[in-house]
Amino acid sequence: MNKQHVRTCIISIVIFLFFSSHASAQQLTLSITPPLVEAVIKPAKSVLIAYTVSNLGDPLIISPHVRPFTAQGLRGDIVVRDEFEGPIRFNLENSNIKLTDEFFLQSNEGQQLLLKIRVPEGTPEGDYYYTFYVQNALGKKIEGRDAAQSLALVGSNILITVTESGNVDVGGSIGEIRIRPRQELSLFGKTYNIFESTDIIPVELILQNTGRHLVKPHGDIILEGSLGEQAKFSVLEQNILSQSSRIVSATPSAVLNSLSQDKIKPASLYLSGFFVGKYSLTANIDFGLGTESHEATVTFYAFPFKLMIAGLVALVFGVIIVKKFRQDELS
Amino acid sequence: MKILTTLLIGLTFCIPISRAHAQDGTMRSNQFRVKTGNINFGSGAPTSTNYNLGTTVGQLAANEFSSSGYVVKAGFQYVHSIIPFTFSISDTSIDLGALTPQTASTATTDLGVSFGGAGQYQVTAVEVGPMSTQSGSETIPDTTCNGGAQTCSESSADVWDSTTAYGFGYNMSGDGVPADFTDSTYYRPFPDSTAAENPQVVMSSTNVTKSQTATVTFKANISNIQPAGSYSTVIKFVATPSY
Repeated sequence: MNKQHVRTCIISIVIFLFFSSHASAQQLTLSITPPLVEAVIKPAKSVLIAYTVSNLGDPLIISPHVRPFTAQGLRGDIVVRDEFEGPIRFNLENSNIKLTDEFFLQSNEGQQLLLKIRVPEGTPEGDYYYTFYVQNALGKKIEGRDAAQSLALVGSNILITVTESGNVDVGGSIGEIRIRPRQELSLFGKTYNIFESTDIIPVELILQNTGRHLVKPHGDIILEGSLGEQAKFSVLEQNILSQSSRIVSATPSAVLNSLSQDKIKPASLYLSGFFVGKYSLTANIDFGLGTESHEATVTFYAFPFKLMIAGLVALVFGVIIVKKFRQDELS
Repeated sequence: MKILTTLLIGLTFCIPISRAHAQDGTMRSNQFRVKTGNINFGSGAPTSTNYNLGTTVGQLAANEFSSSGYVVKAGFQYVHSIIPFTFSISDTSIDLGALTPQTASTATTDLGVSFGGAGQYQVTAVEVGPMSTQSGSETIPDTTCNGGAQTCSESSADVWDSTTAYGFGYNMSGDGVPADFTDSTYYRPFPDSTAAENPQVVMSSTNVTKSQTATVTFKANISNIQPAGSYSTVIKFVATPSY
């Protein structure tokens, strides 16, 4: 009898220790691949995309959805709409799962979701942007506590270009090339961008898509100094959605890890080095085959203020020391 | 003799190991057999002081597919994605305990993103209505922080450390968080989807990112006249790679 009591106690303790704590905290880790799909489709055609959704956290119930999104701001941000709209039709080809259906996913388990994208006959030519995402089902509310519950949506974007002929209307322009100076000097109605020679110089290149379809502009940003020095930075081919603008990145300096980790605003390019004098930055961009090249320039000035101050301080100290020696000699 | 014995033992262990490596892509279980399994051989991310390089060899689906009527660009090397886009929340239930008037309650959860893709991602947040009782008759308003010169909004954080400033809000710290969260005293209210407010970006990166983590600190502070009850809300986090 005593042995039975001991065994019951041990089992109860084990159950309490190992299972009670797991019930209170739900850890969620979801992954989706591919992260981006671009499709050029004719009306009355369809295409099948195989997504893989993996659960790397606690077991959970999820459901797949598709919603349109719109570009927001200049940094490639998006807003996923709450309601479905647009002419494109989506459905899952899985035999046992439909869109919006909830299904259970064990820890470390994956599920392939076959998304069929259908462009109905008569769909107007143009671009249509959607996000395919999975979301977790909300857990049970914590009774008698003030609490918030997290709903996680993990998505992958779909960029659809509908064209009857296969030709796409491409158009774009350079919105602006600008730098964020440490000091701005205004003289006679003109503004001068002034930097210290050792400053890291952030450059922003904003490109506009004025066409009906997304574009992947390419080109260079060329830095030229007054002493003839030159450096070329390639602009990464990033999508700019129809009728929107985006700050594009240039390589290699836009991936300076030390900068990205800090709370510094992202830029197209970070210039680092020792600059003296006048410099010009020229962007040469084209928006696709057969389109004319666009050019824009910005200038800045850099002076070794720190070096000059250090020199001045050294000079003052030098004069003081020399004077002191002379006084000592005289006395 | 000893050498011969050692060689024999070594060979005995080597044979099963080499056989395991020589298997084809066929995947088997009691339920299925897939004859066209895909093998990645030679993937990796060599790095140096000046570059990060992602390579993968052997991915069958990385390409541009075309047929009569469509062209699809998908597959991980095509969009430079070795790591799938992954989002995590360390705890989906944020328990603020039993709120006491003029005593701020806080709770934290960690957000994580790993992504080796085309480069950018964003995580947005929005609340599905303010914190309210089950009937919805009583609500805890969204914070405006300390008020006056220290008034925050959905898109701009400010100091919230006064015990007489009431509401519900959040602070962010860690990788890729908005720059206006200067320190742990800076808060913002969540945008409210029921009031047609747009979600706000709470975490993002414009560079190629392998793994980033940020902490969300939820805070609620109620007044003496806040009606008793159990208040709750739903916070919707939307994590997407950029386009």
